[in-house]
Amino acid sequence: MKDRDERRACYLTVRKEATGYCLGENISGIRPVNNMINNYLFPESTLEAVEMLKSLNGEGRIIAGGTDLVLDLRKNKFVVSSLVDITKIDSLKNIELTGDKITIGALVTHAQVASSRLIKDKASVLAKAAGSVGCLQIRNVGTLAGNVVSALPAADAAVALIALEAEAEVVGPGGSNFVRVEDLYERLFTSKVDSNSQLITKISFNALLGKQGSAYVRMTLRKALALPILNAAAVVSVSNGTFDWVKIVVAPTNPIPTICKEVGKMLAGAQVNNQTISEAAEYLSNNAVIVEDIRANKEYRKEMIKVITKRALEEAVAAVS
Amino acid sequence: MEKKLLHFCLNGEEMEVQVDPSASLMDVIRDDLEMTGTKAGCNTGDCGACTVILDGEAVRSCIMPALHVMDRNVETIEGIGSPDNLHPVQEEFVESSAFQCGYCTPGMIMSAKALLDKNPEPTGEDVREAIAGNLCRCTGYKKIEEAFLSAAKKVNSKSS
Amino acid sequence: MKEFTVVGKSIPRRDALDKVLGTATYTTDVKLPGMLYAKVLRSPHAHAKVIKIDTSKAKALPGVKAVLCHLDIPKNLFCSSAAAYVTTPPVKGVVDQYIFESTARFIGDEIAAVAATSLAIAEKALALIEVEYEVLPAVFDPFEAMKPESPTLHTEPEKKEGFPEYPENNIVGNKIPPVIGMGDLEVGFKEADYIFENTYIVDAVKQAQLETHGAVADINSEGKLTIYSPSQSLHPTKRIVAEALGLPLSQVRVLNPPYSGGGFGGRIGCSAKSEVITAALAQKARRPVKLILSRQEDFIASDTRHETFATLKTGVKKDGTLTARFIKVIMNGGAYASWSQDAPGVLASTAMPVYRCPNSMFEGWTVYTNRTSAGAMRGFGNPQGMFCVESQMDEIAHALNMDPLEFRLKNISRPGDAVPVPFPLVTTGLRDCITQGAEKIGWSRRVEPDRQKSTKLRGMGMGVGSHVSCSHPFHVDYSTCQLILQQDGSILYSTGVPDIGTGTSTTLPQFVAEVLGVDISMVKIVFGDTQSTPFEVGSHASRTCYAAGKAAIAGAEKIKKEILEYAADYLKLPEDDLDIAKGMVYSLSNDNVKVSLGEIALQAHLKTKQFSCIGTVPPTNALPWEAHFAEVEVDTETGQVEIIQLVAAHDVGKAINPAIVEGQIEGALSMGIGFALTEQYQIDENGRQLYDTYHKYMMPTVMDMPPMETIIVEEHEPSGPFGVRGVGEAGLVPTAPAITNAIFNATGVRVNQIPVTPDRLLTALKNQKGISTVREDEEIYAE
Repeated sequence: MKDRDERRACYLTVRKEATGYCLGENISGIRPVNNMINNYLFPESTLEAVEMLKSLNGEGRIIAGGTDLVLDLRKNKFVVSSLVDITKIDSLKNIELTGDKITIGALVTHAQVASSRLIKDKASVLAKAAGSVGCLQIRNVGTLAGNVVSALPAADAAVALIALEAEAEVVGPGGSNFVRVEDLYERLFTSKVDSNSQLITKISFNALLGKQGSAYVRMTLRKALALPILNAAAVVSVSNGTFDWVKIVVAPTNPIPTICKEVGKMLAGAQVNNQTISEAAEYLSNNAVIVEDIRANKEYRKEMIKVITKRALEEAVAAVS
Repeated sequence: MEKKLLHFCLNGEEMEVQVDPSASLMDVIRDDLEMTGTKAGCNTGDCGACTVILDGEAVRSCIMPALHVMDRNVETIEGIGSPDNLHPVQEEFVESSAFQCGYCTPGMIMSAKALLDKNPEPTGEDVREAIAGNLCRCTGYKKIEEAFLSAAKKVNSKSS
Repeated sequence: MKEFTVVGKSIPRRDALDKVLGTATYTTDVKLPGMLYAKVLRSPHAHAKVIKIDTSKAKALPGVKAVLCHLDIPKNLFCSSAAAYVTTPPVKGVVDQYIFESTARFIGDEIAAVAATSLAIAEKALALIEVEYEVLPAVFDPFEAMKPESPTLHTEPEKKEGFPEYPENNIVGNKIPPVIGMGDLEVGFKEADYIFENTYIVDAVKQAQLETHGAVADINSEGKLTIYSPSQSLHPTKRIVAEALGLPLSQVRVLNPPYSGGGFGGRIGCSAKSEVITAALAQKARRPVKLILSRQEDFIASDTRHETFATLKTGVKKDGTLTARFIKVIMNGGAYASWSQDAPGVLASTAMPVYRCPNSMFEGWTVYTNRTSAGAMRGFGNPQGMFCVESQMDEIAHALNMDPLEFRLKNISRPGDAVPVPFPLVTTGLRDCITQGAEKIGWSRRVEPDRQKSTKLRGMGMGVGSHVSCSHPFHVDYSTCQLILQQDGSILYSTGVPDIGTGTSTTLPQFVAEVLGVDISMVKIVFGDTQSTPFEVGSHASRTCYAAGKAAIAGAEKIKKEILEYAADYLKLPEDDLDIAKGMVYSLSNDNVKVSLGEIALQAHLKTKQFSCIGTVPPTNALPWEAHFAEVEVDTETGQVEIIQLVAAHDVGKAINPAIVEGQIEGALSMGIGFALTEQYQIDENGRQLYDTYHKYMMPTVMDMPPMETIIVEEHEPSGPFGVRGVGEAGLVPTAPAITNAIFNATGVRVNQIPVTPDRLLTALKNQKGISTVREDEEIYAE
């Protein structure tokens, strides 16, 4: 009996839904009706956007590409009556290099980042990450800034930006400040950016230099249109076969994606070899918050954290030219 | 709930239509404008049957607010080719039976057209990337890929 | 041998322009004046009694024109699949559904429905329906469900009338007792040098066709219903609606509008009850009603494939000759019967003729559980059966140290062999399929990789199978068509088949054009409408080309004879001097004597005659054959499997339209990949489906497709029209075992359950053994 139950456990693999969305009471596919948008506004500048949000007094929300937001609104994750569409603000649409700093406007799409010569050369981890989001139709519309604000634990572009220690400019009624992308997470699925009153205008980070390499690795159940089981963004600096520093984000290993400081400490000054990399991978795997969801159960994810960490580090090292 | 006036360019024609502000572009195209060539497959942006072209880029119309396309250019399948003058992609589809139930076909053709307009010499990889977001349950994709690559050759030989 | 004019040619499809220009109309596109929009209230509980239901607030909402629940509908039992209506006497079809009931049996079960002037109002109204549920204990596992202490899902005596009482609880309809087969098992096992016993589990999967289920029902003042539907089987669907509503058949018309966005078995009969629900709402509201299921509802509330538990016990001699085989199968039927009574038998009839095995037996049945109903899905038991058979054949070959290919060639059935199905095995091209497929993939390269050398291991595997070319005599299966010669020389060809994407509306006219001698453009097909076509079972069991094709040929031959008889008199020439080609009746002996069909039709018309006839033949059946080969690369660190290449060789008898045949096979291969590796169907502890949207259900995208080669073998099948055998489902039969056998070749580890998701494979790799290898479960096996 036990044996059969064990066997049965393979197919009954009770994988619980991570997001807890839409069970039981919403089984009929009823769209929540209290979320009816009455107003759709197009500010022509960032200032105007902030003013509009202010006058809407919490009933308005920023929309850019909307690929996450439209679905969230249908699920009643946010209840608003007006949308402030910033896609006509041209000043938010540029990718620029000033000195060593790359700045990406809030309306730059994943597709634009993925095909940007500059990003491919100087921050390939981000080009690859942005190029892995969903599929081309989503990438043509979804923005990096939107990816950050959605506060998902393993959003591809956000994970890469965090590894690059990117900063975002957040503009609101109180003015603007620069915040590390990593610090923009309030908790799982909730951003510190309050899209009812604020918006991100640009995101910047340092371009990678000579002895720095980066890698983006993604593990999925199929090769397109799939959220990752795990993803990893690694940026490393190597001199003479030794790690100068390592910044690696493996997600989801935490409700909030972060650079693993411990791995950074372990590898700073360490020899680049199989043993040090494996130890780092082991550490991450043992100290992660392991999520069980419909994409993978706990045991598998734990094992894969090891594998993906190793692969991300190895690829990043190989990318050091 | 008050309707808002959406003004945009649809298949080369200036269009004005009163829309529900919470309606998606797909809802407006299919229900308000009664252009049913764009198909509804999932309404969550996961299958690509609703693909249209916005300012030259292939996008999902089912998760795009209709008002988002204010003053912009939208192309749907109805604007591509005519019975006497098929677009090369449509010609190839017809000649090689690169479809079966046909429900994913308009979305596939829009994705292909967006690609060919930007990149007249796509590789196999480019074609795959362009339609990776278009699900098909009938064909196994092989004839679709082949039709697109043949169409690209046609487009090139016409223009050269 | 006269060369074919249009048969065997990949002519362009006649639905091509509509589909590439976006002018093709599907049920989801239908819009009628005064049309209402419907939504269905579904049970959030897997098993519950509706103690109280109050629809008054919903009815009072402005814009709501009809609300129905179990208190408002006629109490007529029906089955929402065609199953109960094609069951051959003396077997009785299982009817266990009412339009709405006061018991919910799965999460998503229909409790009530609303029709309103807009979808938004319908949704609001749903929220106003007050239901009080008494939650009952639920059971999801068929072995649990069979226990006497488990809840009995269908207790109503009227549902059980005419069916045996079994000691086990929750059996659907009739069991197949151990009688399908031949020879003497005991003798067979005694003769064996080795006996292999294995258990296998095949998870359920979903059709996931692109157009979700739905229907639009219109009604006239006389109560006549016109229902637009994506149904695969129009005439049976009409019957179902008539039975459910207690109407005479003549009061119901069902039609495709004319296209259907895929079926794969999910709509043989109703589209998740949509036709019945919209018809009932239309009757109440006296206005047209449209119901289109959301993608999530499509996953939750429409038939899946049957989850299957199988035990195979096979006896084999040292030299590899099979001596005995016993297959026992338990299927998980979900909440309502649908095709559950039939599926185990189909598994048996399609698996057992493949190999010569003088002593064989099958036993199986389906069990009710509180999950989404399982019904027909492409292959209908055969993909499950052949996954088991081919996995075990591979295992046996490995144990005997024989090449799996040679082992199969040694044992595949030959023409004239006795087979445990009620029609003969006359011809088989399976040997050619195997040898040609093997050459294409490079089977001679197949070796066991050095597993210490790399973490990425390559391997090759194969699988073979058969299927059927229609469902005769297992079910009522026949096709009828009508042909009428028009005065412009065209033939009006009426057939009740749908075109769900398989190209029937192109291929069937090819038969008529070929036999009659007209250009394909002169065959005007009227299809997919019960009002204007004679009885036709529809598109299922891979039957349309074979069975409807035979009817088309019969009709064309008949009308040709009638025309030539008339022409002989008209031209004053002997009938045997005349023939028809390119739309002209011409004299074989005198080139100058010819007259167009249009002219003949006109002349006859002026003499008060029109040429028309019915085409039908007594049904027959034939076995198709296929062999699939897969090369894979396994990443042993992650358990992920990359398919390097797939080769599919099919004996289709005759490819009437080769491009369409290839397309069918290629599409089936993509389904097979998902079936083998990525498509998951799981429920949580409450019975709620976890992979219930396109977002979560990992069916293959173009990026997941490997290079594929299709080989068409044409071993003429004498009973088939121009030698045709069925192909629609055959493409999905041996794909999964070809892939899993390749995984075994690569890794040395066998996973006896599909899908082989990365975590399952990784677990198996770590344990260095499969998940269920040798029979251990007495309960599955016990007599």
